[in-house]
Amino acid sequence: MNDSRRAGLKPLRSLLPVLVILALIAAVPLFSPSNRFLSLAISAGINVIALYGLSVLFGQTGILSMGHAALVGIGAYAAAILARDFGVGFWLALPAAAIASAVFAMIVGIPSLRVGGHHFVIMTFAFGQLLAIVLTNGGDYTGAATGLDVTDHVTLFGADMTDLTRYYLMVVAFVTVAAVASWAIIHSSYGRTLRAIRENEKLAASLGINVGRHKIGAFVVSGVFAGISGVLLAYFLGHISPSQFSSFPSIYLALMVMIGGARLIEGPLAGGILVAFLPEVLNLDPVQSRIVYGVCLIAVIMLLPDGLIGGIVRALRGLFSGKPKSERDAAEARQ
Amino acid sequence: MQQVSIAVDIFIQQILNGLSIASVITLIAIGVTLIFGLTGIINFAHGEFLMIGGIVTWLAVSAGVGFPIAVILSILAVGLMGYVLERGLFRFTLERPTNGFIVSLGLIVVLQHVVVLFWNPNQKSIPRPLTTVWEVGGVRIASVRVMVILITIAVVALSFRMITASRYGRALRASVEDRDTAALMGIPVRRYITGVFVLGSALAGLGGALLIALFPITPFTGGTMVMKGFAVALIGGLGNIYGAVAAGLILGIVEGFSAGYGFSQWTDAYSFVLMILVLVVRPHGLFGGTSGPRMAS
Repeated sequence: MNDSRRAGLKPLRSLLPVLVILALIAAVPLFSPSNRFLSLAISAGINVIALYGLSVLFGQTGILSMGHAALVGIGAYAAAILARDFGVGFWLALPAAAIASAVFAMIVGIPSLRVGGHHFVIMTFAFGQLLAIVLTNGGDYTGAATGLDVTDHVTLFGADMTDLTRYYLMVVAFVTVAAVASWAIIHSSYGRTLRAIRENEKLAASLGINVGRHKIGAFVVSGVFAGISGVLLAYFLGHISPSQFSSFPSIYLALMVMIGGARLIEGPLAGGILVAFLPEVLNLDPVQSRIVYGVCLIAVIMLLPDGLIGGIVRALRGLFSGKPKSERDAAEARQ
Repeated sequence: MQQVSIAVDIFIQQILNGLSIASVITLIAIGVTLIFGLTGIINFAHGEFLMIGGIVTWLAVSAGVGFPIAVILSILAVGLMGYVLERGLFRFTLERPTNGFIVSLGLIVVLQHVVVLFWNPNQKSIPRPLTTVWEVGGVRIASVRVMVILITIAVVALSFRMITASRYGRALRASVEDRDTAALMGIPVRRYITGVFVLGSALAGLGGALLIALFPITPFTGGTMVMKGFAVALIGGLGNIYGAVAAGLILGIVEGFSAGYGFSQWTDAYSFVLMILVLVVRPHGLFGGTSGPRMAS
């Protein structure tokens, strides 16, 4: 393969489809969609931002976290408490919550990644459950089991963004930033380092990569995405409670990223949108749709290990390029 | 003096309460630890197996079947479910245990909501199979709790006996120690993996039946219970059955105390905090475990 071409053109070309899709998504309000559609789309978008963080962690570094919703929760509670106690608004809460989630990720990550491997996933699960217990027992400070209200409005250049269409556009903008950030990570030398760790930890270490530090780094990066998603969630819902951030929401986040496919940049977007709109399209009640998600997850893992988008991309490549399968696989492994 | 004797009463009662819950947790932990030791699969859906065991017992008792028969039915039903799931799903993930773990996440969601779909999400309970309460020197002992503890001791002792004394048990331990070498020695490791799934599931079925004899359960009970099962399995050292039983005892006593001495809202947190602390200090658990089967890659 021509290396210089790969380094220059190919990355940009991989970003383009996502940008086109996001541009189309941003044009949706022109067709005057229902409020219900907009709310669903906003929740999906907020999830997608968190999912981009999870895809850096799972897709690139190969670490699966079962506590991602807890990181989202730290962001949401940080925003709510800052607004209540210090009168801090949305825009200042964003960096503050991102930092809070990143710090929490580091606090969780250092002991969890030290024990490594199989145990990490259980440790993150336990920290997620612990956070929910702490928030529930936090008394007035965290609002106990009922949670906290966020009544502030989001304003941008003097315009009130609380209107659904405006909030929708803002979330689409944030999703775009998250997608571009995740794309930049994937195609940077940092991304290559993370993938080296994913493919072979010992080999990566022997090349002088500080595996432990980079794993914690990836976890912290996923925390930044989660924190921002948490702020958007808190201001959108206007009310947050501990059960939203316990381990079951984390399972659903992991499910979304894996259904979409964690390694490709389209994956989180597809996973988030699919899981949000599938019940609407198929006209399922919440219980039935959960069963469908679970079956989808099992089917995707058994049949399409790269996720839905990965599977589609692979099938398309198989159709359009006459190359034998082994060569395609080799090309993909290099990505 | 009066004060002291009351304190002792509460103390003994709380230990008994703690131990009866710990019994159920130990039953999960044994399944979790064996399945992990042999396959490297972290089966999070094991808590749902337990929940299904409870539901089967509830259905049977509601249909007028006696509790002992209901227990046997739920052991059989959940054992069969374990067999089907291993043959149908987990078998294909043996090369990549992470996929097995993800499949178990999907199973959690599916099993919970299938139960909700058919039997609504509300609490389910059965009349206590044993209602006698013994008074021994002012200590009130509910016979149902003693029953749970005794059944668990019997089953755990029987499992130990099978694992330590029979040649199947020796082959099983050899497979947990080193799957490839065991296979080279002519042990049908694949069949043992199926066997362990069935055994682990059957123990979870029993655990569910015993749990519903103690408390009402909901379709979502499995989540908390499996985390405690994992906490116990990790504290004891994954793959180490003795460790799981010892850690189960420790956790039961700690939880019993915390419930009895005014920190009940933090009860669920203890197992997690204990697990995190133990893993940070001793990553392979208090009693040492395996880190799962060595992978070919």
